[in-house]
Parts: sequence; structure tokens; C-alpha cells
Amino acid sequence: MKPTHRTAPPPFADRLLELFCAPHLLEELQGDLHERYKRDVMRLGKTKANRRYWRNVLGFLQPRAGLPFVLKRQATDYSSPSLLHPVMLRNYIKTSLRSLTKHKVSTLINLFGLTLGVTACLAIYLITNYELSYDTFHPDSERIYRLVGEAQYEKNGEKHPVGFIPVPVPGAIRKEIPGLGTVAAFHTIESDVLIPNGDEKPIRFESRRRTGGNADLVVVDPKYFDIFKYQWLAGNPNVALNEPFKVVLSEQKAHKYFGDLPLDQFLGKDVIYLDSVRVNVAGIVKDWTQPTDFTFTDFISLATVRASQLKNEINLDQWEDIWSASQAFVKLPEGSTPAQFTAQFQRFSKAHYSKDFSFTPALQPLSDVHFNENYDDNYSRKAHLPTLYGLIAIAGFILLIAAINFINLSTAQSVQRAKETGIRKVMGSSRANLITQFLSETVFLTLIAVLISLALVKPILFAFQSLTPKGLVVELFSLQTGLFLLGVTAVTSLLAGFYPSWVLSSYIPALTLKGQTTLTGGQKGYLRKTLIVFQFTVSLVFIIGTLMVGRQLSFMRNKDRGFSTDAIVSIRPPQTDKGPVLAQKIKQLSNVEGVTMEWFPPMGDAYMVTKLKYHGKKRDVEMDASVKVGDENFIPLYQLRLLAGRNYVKSDSMRELVINATFARALGFQKPADAINQLIEFQDKRYPIVGVVADFHEQSFHEKIGALFIANMPQARNIGVKLATTGKPMNEVKATLASIEQAWKSVYPDNKFEYSFLDDSIARLYEKEQKTGQLVNTATAVAILISCMGLFGLAMFTAEQRTKEIGVRKVLGATVISIVVLLSQDFLKLVLIAMVIASPLAWWAMDQWLKDFAYKVSIEWWVFLLAGSIAAGIALLTISFQSIKAALVNPARSLRSE
Amino acid sequence: MKRSYLGEFEEIVLLTVAVLNERAYGVAITDELDRQTGRSVSISAVHAALHRLQEKGMLSSYMGEATAERGGRRKRLFTVTALGSRALHDIRSMRDQLWNSILPNALPAISL
Repeated sequence: MKPTHRTAPPPFADRLLELFCAPHLLEELQGDLHERYKRDVMRLGKTKANRRYWRNVLGFLQPRAGLPFVLKRQATDYSSPSLLHPVMLRNYIKTSLRSLTKHKVSTLINLFGLTLGVTACLAIYLITNYELSYDTFHPDSERIYRLVGEAQYEKNGEKHPVGFIPVPVPGAIRKEIPGLGTVAAFHTIESDVLIPNGDEKPIRFESRRRTGGNADLVVVDPKYFDIFKYQWLAGNPNVALNEPFKVVLSEQKAHKYFGDLPLDQFLGKDVIYLDSVRVNVAGIVKDWTQPTDFTFTDFISLATVRASQLKNEINLDQWEDIWSASQAFVKLPEGSTPAQFTAQFQRFSKAHYSKDFSFTPALQPLSDVHFNENYDDNYSRKAHLPTLYGLIAIAGFILLIAAINFINLSTAQSVQRAKETGIRKVMGSSRANLITQFLSETVFLTLIAVLISLALVKPILFAFQSLTPKGLVVELFSLQTGLFLLGVTAVTSLLAGFYPSWVLSSYIPALTLKGQTTLTGGQKGYLRKTLIVFQFTVSLVFIIGTLMVGRQLSFMRNKDRGFSTDAIVSIRPPQTDKGPVLAQKIKQLSNVEGVTMEWFPPMGDAYMVTKLKYHGKKRDVEMDASVKVGDENFIPLYQLRLLAGRNYVKSDSMRELVINATFARALGFQKPADAINQLIEFQDKRYPIVGVVADFHEQSFHEKIGALFIANMPQARNIGVKLATTGKPMNEVKATLASIEQAWKSVYPDNKFEYSFLDDSIARLYEKEQKTGQLVNTATAVAILISCMGLFGLAMFTAEQRTKEIGVRKVLGATVISIVVLLSQDFLKLVLIAMVIASPLAWWAMDQWLKDFAYKVSIEWWVFLLAGSIAAGIALLTISFQSIKAALVNPARSLRSE
Repeated sequence: MKRSYLGEFEEIVLLTVAVLNERAYGVAITDELDRQTGRSVSISAVHAALHRLQEKGMLSSYMGEATAERGGRRKRLFTVTALGSRALHDIRSMRDQLWNSILPNALPAISL
């Protein structure tokens, strides 16, 4: 008999009881309560009975001598063990293994995708972690700031942020702004190092510039060691650098110079810098092992400067000019903030600068030094933060695409597993049990992926060395990396596994065991379609990025720069007056077409801007122009095109000059020829313009072509050599280079011969872009690969599902082609939708990237079309394998089964 | 003393189970307690006591028949075990012994 509705106790109280009551007690307790409720309704009426019922239910929760007994679960033969019971865990692993080996193809696809995703994440995590850990280990690092500033080269002119300071500024600031705390200046220098070796020739260690090493030589204020803490192994930190001609070496450097000696014996030894500055060792410090931009190993005392040749390198009284070598750091007193010094800095600037040049100091946090490219210097390696963020985004997307594959393939297969779910539920599995079981499959797969990527990440980082930061240390087995991997495993497993296991566990056994699939029309794979669209959108954005970056790169490589770069070798002789002798020797070699004495080639990092005046008929023009310095062979050697006039004639000093077309226009000449024979004032002397050359690029394509002039000046100490290579094999070029080296050795027996091809040094200007290109290419390849594997799996699955349908269609007369079209069009539609979504996204992203270039390719519509066709083509190729296979099956066979 | 401790309420519940003989389950015990002692106790308190007594081994139980008024749910019927019976007898004999040791007129007379 059913209890009538009128006498049913309050349902909510009943539900509460069911919720907290131990299952084995529920029946008797609920029975008693209902029985009592019936009586109460008859005796007292419904309202009172309800209240009593509530009181009784809550009474069971009242603690009496410990926990209420109704909460205690009892272990019986029939109750399910806890989800994490060892028996259950063993069962999960066993069933996971079974189902993973049963669906081999999708397991492989998932494993492959997840491994790629996890590997990308791990590699990028290692890189990012390394970059972000730069100089974070210093004690009180949050109080350490670099003295930087804004330089202004003329009154009301543009202000340039600079990472360096005029040499006398730190000393003056220390006196005038005492509240700033500890101030320490240092200057990086570059020099070969000589170690005296008794009566024999001293041992020479080549400078950083030649060996390509880190910045190592610095002239430091003793206070440097108050700001940056080193462990002193020998010598007295308080007095070591107080006197001139003292140097402190790092432990490793000392061993390099003097071999294996006990630490104390290094003290007092001599080291010679700049060929003549002889200093002796006053201390040994331990090298830092953590990532740092301060890679210095030789600390020469600042007092040495005035007493030695160093004063030519470092002019301690030069207020009006700045060099990137001159640096200063401060450690603020506790509780100070950089903002409170702004006003003082401005007063300082006013007090010291009244003429054209002015400099206003500012403070840059230590944590910013590794990342901020505005504040330049000549020792730190800048990490590009947007690139790092881009990397993180790429890793995330790749992992997401892999997770989507997993979701798609497992929900697609869920129909096949519906029976399994039904049986499990009938056997007493709870939903939580099932979710745990399905999730454990994902966890299992992810764990395997993590293990594989742990093995893969080192070789992969090695293979992509050109993209990874220099000096990257891969620490796979640290606590941090472990935690990261744990996080990745958890997130990936949940991301990929939660939805499928939710769907799988939701099947109703009564329906699935009867053979009905429970997918209703409304949810018929819409989620799966959305996810595929998402995957292809990401892939398409990557494809468009690849195409655009590639186009810009080839544009920069192939666009006419306005001068010749073919087979030109740049040679930088040591700073002596023997350069012309060497040039003369090289000129006499066969296979050398021409030689010029120059400062720098037409294009490169180094360039110099100076001020020129022109007294015109109508008005005076005073403007900045870039200078190219070379002798009379400069213009012909680089094949600069003369628009008017002639090249300047041979002379020992500056007599005449040649300007470019932009300069001529800026000076107000309609035609280049009008500029000829006009006088230009440079450093208080007037020179005639004898020629106008066509504009050429002197900087990377990020910068616009500006005004420029070419003249012969004393800075022309380097040599540009044009080799006769046309049609000559590479080994002949090598032979020519070898004979140039011989010429070098006869002039400079002590120095190593070094040279660079102009093509290479120009290519180096686009290093960042090259890296971006490589990165986008790799990301695209990986994204497409994973997406296509997912698509492949799905296509295989649909083809399998529709075997019967295809059989019937064929019997009714469908052709193979019509069936292939039928199977492919669904997927192609999705790719089309993805293209519509991806195009504006990619357009926006590329527009942002191209903004950095003054000379760039335009974003053409056909790029999108091409990307779309590539994606559609790849998708089609992937699907067609399966759909053709399905279409070719003999219907007699596919319809016979069952 | 060797026997396990029995609280006063537990003792009364145990006695009531004996009184009801084969018909002892939660609601019936509650009602019987009400009738015999005039105490109004909550079902949950009775169940808690029954549970404790069963844990102590003084009660055993089995599931009885289902009735309509219980919505088809079965009742749990309790019987006193040998240990329970021993405990009740111990208490009783101890009380008797104490009563027998009281001298006549030692207690103030009360009119019944």
C-alpha cells in the first residue's frame, strides 16, 4: 500500500535524513519515524506532526557521547568500498589498461597529442622559469635599483631613455642626494688580458668581443660589493679595492689565469689589462651560480682609472656625453620608494645641465633590468617579455588542442562503452565510481605522456637551441618542476577527462542495455563540432601567422637595400695605425675586387648621428644626420647609386661630402642636382656637397630611412673587402680568406684574425624576427599535426559508425565519390566556419606584429584564402583516407554482419 | 565490579525490551516507556540507547516484517541477550542485597 500524499512527512526533512543517515540504519529509522508521524498526524494534526517530525530527524544528529551513531557507516558485504581503496585502484588501473589497449588508434592519437602538449608546456616552462629567475637571488633585491635616466641632446629636443649615465653622475649624486643610500658605479671594459710569465712572453687571454663570451671585465667602485653580495674566499672585502692597481677575481677566473693554486696564493699576483695597466690581485670571490646578467669576473678598482691608461677609456669628468659602458646601481634605505626621489633628480639635472645636452636621472628596479629594452647597456642579455608570453600562450593552446582530441575521441566512443557503463551500474557502481574510473584512464594516459616528455624535453631543447636563451640550465628534477608537472597532470586530466567521464557515467542502464544510445537530437555532437572549430581556428591563426612572418622575412632579405652586400667581408683591425698597411696588402691579393677604409659598412647596428647646419638662401636648416665614414672607395665598393654629382676625391682628411636623397629633400632641394656644390657646416667648418646618392637602408627595416651623409673622416680605421666571387666555387673564397689571414698575420702577429660577411651581420639584425619565424613555424606544425590526428580518429570513428548506411547507399546506387563527399562535407563545413572566425583574429595579430616595421609587406586577402585552402586540404587529406576506405567496402560484406 | 557499566536510561530501555518480549522496536519501546514511567523520550534517544546496548552485546536484533504505516519499511526487533540478562540480574540482586541490609525504621516512613 502506498502512503497517501496527505500523510507524507515533510519531504525536505526526509531527504535530509536520507542524506546523513548511514545506509544500513536508514530503513528502520525512517520506518519508525514514519510510523510515529502517522500517529502524530491523527492525534495532533499535520502542522504539529510536521514540527515533531523535524525535531525527531534533527534529534538523530544531536551528538550523544561522541559522534551521532547514525553517521557511522557500517562495512557490510554489499556496501561499495571507498573510491580510493587499494582494491579499487587496482581495478581502475586494470580496466584503464584494458580499454586503452582495446582502442589502440585513439589511444595512440591521444598519447601522441598529450605528449606533444605536455612537452611543449614543460619546455616553455623551463625557459620562462629560467628567464624570470634572473637576478632574483640577491639579498634585498627589491631595494636594488639601477641609475638610468633620460638624455636630451638639445634643448627642447626629444628625450631618450638610456640605461647608462654620464661618468661623474654617481659620485655627484652620492654627495648631493644622501638619502639615496648606497651608490656604486662600475664601467665595463673590453680588453685582452695578459698574465706575466716570468721572463717569457706573457700569456694572452682574448677579450670577450673576440671569444663571444659574457661581459667579464669591470672597473668598480668598492661599494659595488655592498650592493651585490659575493662570498669572499680570500682578501679583505673592506679594503681590497680602496687603492689603485688592485683587482678582485672570481674563483673560476683566477684558476683560469693562474692554474690550480691554493686560494691564498692568488693574492698579490699581477694581471695586465689594456696592454699596460698592471694590477695585482687583492681578493678572490666565489662565482654566482644562479642566472644573472652580472657575469663579471674581474673587478678592477675605480681608483686605478686616474692613475693609469684607463683614463683614456673612462673620462671621469665627462658630464656631457654618455656611454653604455658606464653604469651605476643604488640600494635604497629600507622604507624608501623610488618615487620620492623624482623631484631631487630633477633639481640635480637643473643644477648640472644648462647647455644643449642634459640628463635627468631615474631609477630602474633590478627585476626590470633583464627585460626592459628601453634601458640599454652593453652586458645584459634582454629577454623579450611579449615573446615569453607568446610562448606560454602557444604551449597552452597546444595542450588545449590535445585535450580537445581526447574529449572528442572519448565522447565519440562513449556510445560503444555505454553497455559497459550499464553493466557496471547494474553491478552496483555509483556515478562517482564511474567518473573516477574514467578519469583514471585519463590520468593514466597523461602520466605516461608526462614520463615520455620528461625523457624528450632535453633533446628537444637541444634541437631548438637557437630559440632557447643562452646558458639555459635544465633542472628536471627540482621540487618546482615536480610541482609544475603535477599541476599540468591534474589540469590536463581534468580538462580532457572530466566531460567525457561525466557523459559516460550519465547513461541510464535500462536504456543502454536495451541497445538504445541515449544521445538525443539536441546534443547531437554540437559540443564536438564546436571543439573541432576551435582546434581549426587555432591552427588557422598559426598558418596565417607562418605565412605572414615568412613573407615579411623574405621581404627583408630580398628587398633592394640600395647597396650591394654580395661577397663583402668586414675586417676590424686592432686600434693601431697599421690599418692602411693591411688594406694595402689585401688590395694586392688576387681575387680581391676592391678595398675600402671605412668606419662601418652602410648597414649594421652601429651608427652615429651628428648635427649639420645649412645656410640656405631663404632659411637656415639645422638638423641631425647619420654619418657614414669611408675613403673614396666606399661608394663604388658598396655600389651606392649616385643620383647627381660625383664621388668625393681621394684625400687624407675630410674635404667634400656626399649626401643621400632624403637629406637633399630635407634641405629643401627640389632635384638632387640642386644640392651640388652647396656648403654644409659640420663641426664649425664648411664642406661642399659633391654628390647625392639614392636612399639606402642603414638600419633594420624597423626604422625609416633618415638624412645621411658620407665623408672621409679619421674614424675610417676598419676595412671592407669586396671579393671577386662571381661564378667561383666556395673553396676559392676560402683560399682568398686564407690569404687575407696571412696578410693579417704579417701585420698583426699577436692578434687573432677575425672577419665577418656583411650578409651575415645584416641577417643578425633580424635575429629576433628569424626566431619568431621559427617559433611560429614549429607551433603551426605541432598544432596542425595534433588537430589532424584528432580529425583522423574522428573520421575513422564516423566511417565505422556509418558502415551500414554506406552499404545501403551503395546498394541503392551511390557512387564512391558521392560517398566520399558525403563523409567529408561535414568536416569541411567546420573548417570553413573556423576560417571565418580565424581570419579577423589573425589579421589583428599580424597587424600588431607588423606595426614594428617601417618597411613591411601588406596583409593580402589571398593569404587568408591560401591558409584556408591549406587547412581544408590537410583536413580533406586526413579524412579522405578513412572515407575512401569506407566507400570502397563491398556492401555485401558490411550488410551481412548481424 | 566486573560487569560493564549500565546507565540508568540504558537499564530502563533494556528492561522495556524484556517487557515487550519479541515485540520490541523503536516506536514500541518509546510508547512503552511513556506508559510505564510517564517519561516522554524522543525516538532518537531510544535508538541511540538501543544502538549502544547492542554494541555492548546486551541486545541482539533482527529485521522484522514490514507494515503499511511504515511505508513498507521493516522494523528492527530487539531481544535481550544472555549478557544483557546477566547484567539486569546483577543489578537486581545488588539492589536486593542493599535493601535487605537496611535496618527497619532506618528510612523515614512514607505514607503510600
